[in-house]
Amino acid sequence: MNVLFFGSLVLYFAAAVLQFIGTLFKKDKVARIAWLVFLASLAAQTAYLLVRGVTARRLPLSNQFEFATAFAWGIALMLLIVRLRLKADWLSVAVMPMVFLVLSYAALQPREVTELMPALRSAWFGFHIGAAVFSYSAFIIAGCVGLRYLIVSKKGSADELKLHQMDYLSYRMIALGFLLLTITILSGALWAEQAWSAFWTWDPKEVWALITWIIYAVYLHLRLRGKRQGTAMAWYAMIAVPVVLFTFAGVNTIMPGLHSYG
Amino acid sequence: MKKLWRFLRSMRFGILLLLLIALCSVLGSVIPQGKEIAWYAQTYQQVHGWILLLGLNRVFQSWYFIALLVLLCLNLSLCSLLRIRRVVREGKGEIEQAAAWPIQTPLTAEEAERVREHLRAIRSREETVNGVSVWHKNRIGRYGSFITHLSILLVVIFGALALYLPRVTDRSCMPGESLTMEDGTEIYVDAFAIEDESGTLDYNSWIRLTLPDGRESGLKQIKVNYPLSFGNYKIYQQTYGTAGSITVNNLDTGGTDTFSLTDTVFLSADGRDGVWFDALYPGYIESEDGSVTLITSSSGHYTDPVYHITLAAQGEYTPVLAFPGESLTVGNWRYDFNDPVEYPGLRIKYTPGAVNLLLLLSFLLMIAGLYITFFLVPVLVKLDETGCTVGGPKPEGLRMEIELLTRKETDT
Ligand code: HEM
Repeated sequence: MNVLFFGSLVLYFAAAVLQFIGTLFKKDKVARIAWLVFLASLAAQTAYLLVRGVTARRLPLSNQFEFATAFAWGIALMLLIVRLRLKADWLSVAVMPMVFLVLSYAALQPREVTELMPALRSAWFGFHIGAAVFSYSAFIIAGCVGLRYLIVSKKGSADELKLHQMDYLSYRMIALGFLLLTITILSGALWAEQAWSAFWTWDPKEVWALITWIIYAVYLHLRLRGKRQGTAMAWYAMIAVPVVLFTFAGVNTIMPGLHSYG
Repeated sequence: MKKLWRFLRSMRFGILLLLLIALCSVLGSVIPQGKEIAWYAQTYQQVHGWILLLGLNRVFQSWYFIALLVLLCLNLSLCSLLRIRRVVREGKGEIEQAAAWPIQTPLTAEEAERVREHLRAIRSREETVNGVSVWHKNRIGRYGSFITHLSILLVVIFGALALYLPRVTDRSCMPGESLTMEDGTEIYVDAFAIEDESGTLDYNSWIRLTLPDGRESGLKQIKVNYPLSFGNYKIYQQTYGTAGSITVNNLDTGGTDTFSLTDTVFLSADGRDGVWFDALYPGYIESEDGSVTLITSSSGHYTDPVYHITLAAQGEYTPVLAFPGESLTVGNWRYDFNDPVEYPGLRIKYTPGAVNLLLLLSFLLMIAGLYITFFLVPVLVKLDETGCTVGGPKPEGLRMEIELLTRKETDT
């Protein structure tokens, strides 16, 4: 099983490096190989998650390691979908390293398969955490698109339509992430009421989910104001990423609370 | 005055409020909340005075945080209620108006065909007004942000009610006994188990609720994540405890009585001779010299329970350890030490009215509102052989798609 995990980690790294070289030196062939390596890695990671889920007989989402692995998988899957649907090849160079980084974080966590603690045995479990995985993934993709936007727009020779496309994609990913984060927070509230009797307890994880939610609500409103402000919004989408990562990993590590599982 | 009014209902004020709420939240998560004053004094030394003065030890209950929420509700109501009239007005007759738009993007006949195909592919409907074709879909999309804002308002209001209205009490109850609430509701605990079949810790109670009007829930199993909901009550399996059980026998009459004991108590007929129950310990360690060390805490079953009692006889008090199965006789009374009894700690939540249901509906409305906003984006296009105009409340995406489509045309 470990072979699949570390195999995918190494392959993601290789894909990110190849993609970087391909983009920097405009070598299409290298970039194409990077994509194939990336697909192989995604397949290995998917297999890993499946095997782990079947072995544990539950969704592999229950501790920091599993959640981080699923998070990296979510980002990779979204990259696959967006790239295929929009033919947005330019996205890979920014997103692939992010997949690798998140999976590296997972690799640093304890990996043993543990029994699901009773508090997590609930129909809400997959729903709440699944929505969180894809919400965070969408925000990460939006941030990566923002980064790409800033790099491309610096070049001067930037194609206005392409920039607009990036700005719009970043916005759409944030819209998707926002809907999913809302679902995460609301399902979390319903679950908390089932498990602990109160919908909301101002637990640090809840508070940081709310902060993240507000930050993206502000993004959505700023973007509504009149003419397009691509560069500012790209910066915004990028700067919001650390907040998402903190909500995901930082809170559990440095702020004890009800969500400090595993 | 007018300026102030305009500011109060502006999006800028809304954003400011949201950011201030976020700022308070950051402080409320960085500074641990609701601790003893001494704890802040020790942890934050010089600045603890500021923390207490600004209420940063209870940010989320502070007057300014609540004021921010109230202002947000006010701002949201003003900005969405005042806008909705215009949104509805603009929605009415928008197709007829679109037919009269001037053409903004000139297209060749071939490009126009491409655009038409695209509009068909995304399933928009064609309507002909005065001989002009207008394509549209997702007209409900324009109400998405109104629905979203309305739902936020409802979530804040019903959320506050759902947090502050319920009466929550934590009570223990021995299996086979009942609790009676103030309103006459009765909660009967039939049984309690600490472990599941495989021996892992999993606390389960079997309870029955009887409402004052006589309605009964039937015997239901509760455990973490699966409370019993009945009437306005919700009963949670919260904690558990282990009680001593002593049967007192009157050797003269043969009468017996069994007591479940958690606190120190004196079991005596005359108030002079009898048994003081001090505590029940989960286990003990016996060392080689025969001395016994009591284990004071454990999770799960008590493996080797020990009763710590004081025997009172004729004015003399003797501390004694007793084990389940043993008996002691004082005068005409025999005290049998039984196996301990495990009992649940229940959390009993009473929520008046339909607050929870209304909150749930607001949640669903919020998700529907966001879905409509983001995924039912309105399409409104006037298209003829000379060109097209994309309008409606959210034209950005479609304008870009059409630009991409027609550019491909010129590229190839
Ligand atoms: C509490 C958090 C809030 C959330 C989650 C929220 C959410 C949204 C969303 C999702 C949209 C649609 C954005 C888009 O189409 O890209 C929107 C639009 C808008 N929001 Fe908010 N909003 C909030 C608070 C406010 C406040 C306080 C105001 C104050 C005036 C406001 C004013 C507006 C306006 C004017 C629009 C544009 C309306 C339209 O497109 O029809 N929002 N909001």
